[in-house]
Amino acid sequence: MTKILTSRPSRRALVKGALGLAAAAVADRAGAQGPGKNPFGPPELIEAAKQEGSLVYYTANFAEVERQVIAAFNKRFPFVQVEMVRAPGGQLITRVKTEAAAGKLAADVVDHSDRGLMLEIENQFADYAPPNAADYIADVLISPKLWPRATLGWSIAYNSELVKNPPKSWMDLTKPEYGNGQIGQVIGPSGGTTWTRIMFERQVLGEDYWRKQAATKPGLYPSGAPLSDALVRGEVSIAPLLYNIIWTKKRDGAPVEIFFPPEGVPINPYASGIPKTASHPNAAKLFLNWNLSDEGQTFMIKELGQLTSLKQAPAYPEGYDPEVVKVWVPNFEQYKKLHAAWMEDWNKTYGYRQ
Amino acid sequence: MATSLALADQVRPAPRLASFRLGGWLWSGLLLALLAFLVLYPTFMLLYGALSGTNPVVDGFNLSAVSLDNFIEVLANPNVHFALVNTLVVCGGGTAIAVVIGLGFAWIVVRTNTPCKALIATAGLVPLFVPPLVAGVAWTILGSPRTGLINTVLAWLGTDWRLNFYSMPGLIAVFGMYYAPYVYMFTSAALRNMDPSLEEAAEISGASALGTLRTITFPLIAPAIIAATLLSFIVMLGIYGIPAVLGAPANISVLTTYIFNLTAWSPPLYSTAAAVAILLMIVTGLLVVLQQMVLSGKSFTTVAGKAFRPRSLDLGRWRYFTLALAIVYLLVVAVLPTLALVIAAFRKYLFFRGAASLFDLKQYGLQHFDNLFSNPLTTLSMVNTVEVALITAVAGGVLAFAIGYTVNRTNAPGRRAVDLIATLPVAIPGLVIGVAYLWAWIGLPGGLYGTIWILALAFIARFMPDTVKVLSTSLMQIHRELEEAAAGSPPSARSCCRWRGPA
Repeated sequence: MTKILTSRPSRRALVKGALGLAAAAVADRAGAQGPGKNPFGPPELIEAAKQEGSLVYYTANFAEVERQVIAAFNKRFPFVQVEMVRAPGGQLITRVKTEAAAGKLAADVVDHSDRGLMLEIENQFADYAPPNAADYIADVLISPKLWPRATLGWSIAYNSELVKNPPKSWMDLTKPEYGNGQIGQVIGPSGGTTWTRIMFERQVLGEDYWRKQAATKPGLYPSGAPLSDALVRGEVSIAPLLYNIIWTKKRDGAPVEIFFPPEGVPINPYASGIPKTASHPNAAKLFLNWNLSDEGQTFMIKELGQLTSLKQAPAYPEGYDPEVVKVWVPNFEQYKKLHAAWMEDWNKTYGYRQ
Repeated sequence: MATSLALADQVRPAPRLASFRLGGWLWSGLLLALLAFLVLYPTFMLLYGALSGTNPVVDGFNLSAVSLDNFIEVLANPNVHFALVNTLVVCGGGTAIAVVIGLGFAWIVVRTNTPCKALIATAGLVPLFVPPLVAGVAWTILGSPRTGLINTVLAWLGTDWRLNFYSMPGLIAVFGMYYAPYVYMFTSAALRNMDPSLEEAAEISGASALGTLRTITFPLIAPAIIAATLLSFIVMLGIYGIPAVLGAPANISVLTTYIFNLTAWSPPLYSTAAAVAILLMIVTGLLVVLQQMVLSGKSFTTVAGKAFRPRSLDLGRWRYFTLALAIVYLLVVAVLPTLALVIAAFRKYLFFRGAASLFDLKQYGLQHFDNLFSNPLTTLSMVNTVEVALITAVAGGVLAFAIGYTVNRTNAPGRRAVDLIATLPVAIPGLVIGVAYLWAWIGLPGGLYGTIWILALAFIARFMPDTVKVLSTSLMQIHRELEEAAAGSPPSARSCCRWRGPA
């Protein structure tokens, strides 16, 4: 049985069956759900999207990953050209806010890793729901306008050429034998996904986990992309990483092994929406409908190593055993409220100069 | 020539003088207006953002929100002090190395009989064509303490000696090596254009070789050395790529990387970044004022309307030593990093089990190129790059020439202000200047935003200081008598341009 931990102490009991990673067998979902025979929207929408012919897509996810998503979307709908604008989370939000204020927001879809930041600009977005809206976990929906297009989960990876006695859990990352810069860490303030992980560490692994982990003197990296490269190159030997960043490297032959630690897998659902000012609203809807559909989610799970926020997962990533893995979702109120103070603590504990 | 100019002044009718002055004001006014749009207006937006703690486009202008609190908080932040001290140490050390290398090369190329001078002259300029980020990445591959190629080879050789470029000395060394060309360009031009009869006169008067160097040669090329030192220091202040790649793993921040981090953290702290950027601009402004103070009131004209060849010192056997120095430099700044990048580009993964795995051909392939060229954005970004570069080079070059000429060769009113404003952008890191332009220009009517022109304008403003300084040094060395000779009396702008092109 897949187990879910939430950050609220009273709800730390296991919640069964939620978050699309339930033990239920992967269902054959064709025709069984809301979208019925139009999983990507009615024919009129597809026709209207075809007339629009293109859309502008702002994302905070990795450009290489999103390029594959767009290619898969274009296999199904070749008549919608997707122009991608990629920026790190903080810069992307500033750009969206600034463009919107000047009346020049070019985006038809905005896709962001930090749900808290997106909620602040919720009023920029139009009402939107995918055909399979009811299939998504209510707990991860922060606004009826914003949807978890991507859902990323944390894992621990190590360089198999360098580590002969690999760690097996989050707690192992506090062991002195992995000290002296062997471990790499993404800095706490890097964004929503890392904030989710460090919340998990403090709430689930213990108040003093940061202190014990920081005592191993880990190397600090600004984001997951450079850290995953550093791991492959052997700059560091072990690193907590988002599964999707490192899995594609392993798939292509990099000397790394990855596992989902037994204490829990913190996950971070993205928030994606269609701005009110979108000039290609139908193409935008079709793009998000496809992304949020079983087909889109399956592609992202199987090809890109992502998870899903669907109640029933259409697939699982390699190495993910739903019987064993305990998924952990942060309590969204705490996610917003604790951020500033805890981040300051984290920076102090790890000696990171923010 | 002085007589002919005096005569010209006498015969010049008064109304023409008045119209000349009016023209001067109009000209300066035009330049100042352009600079105000390109530099002052975005800087003002940045200043407002720093002092109000808001995004002026999103939150609108509210003068009551302006206070020094945000700025004072930034100044009191120990992390800013840490970054500032690191910046001064890295740029100071880097500049010292750059001056030694650049001046040494200039002397070898211009004033000695070292063989293969063309090769050495090229070596001296190579780093100019290497973007800082690329240099940083190349030196990560070479100089990383755990996995760097140099250390892999050292381990293979059986030594315990290791290099660590993730350190202050590593940063200083890379800065010094890559910014030496600024010093080289300035000082080699000065040495080449120097009249050797001055040195000969000193030697005939009994001065020793060293005495001549100290009393004649160095004072003559002093403005070039000072300008180059200040410029390379100022340029280093604004570099992001090298400290981002080499400093981050050792948690060494400098002002530019700190500013970038402020905007990359979630949530981003743009107003704090703007405040730190203004701190950086103040440091640069002080350096520019210092440069003007050093250079003011001195005539550094060494290029007169007279043909001569610079003297060449016979180094004897030592000329092979100077050649060897140049070859080592070329190896270190160009060959090794290029090799590292080539290996990285063709190797599937940058993990080396040992030096032997470097030669394991199974580890190499074209997968990175396949990925690159299967992406339609690659071609598009190449086309955009060329387009922006062309617009920037042509428009920026014309503007920089106009500014350099006005500042150095005319008595136009307000030319000091023009010089100062044109130098400001060098201090603003690319990312923050990007935000400043975004804030400044997004609201303007005419659809500048979202076009290639906004990029070109930002680049013109950003690289104006470099272009103006390079042109200014050359202009400072060209004697006015050449212009006057070209024109008869009075000199006209048209005739100036006719001969200035070749010069």
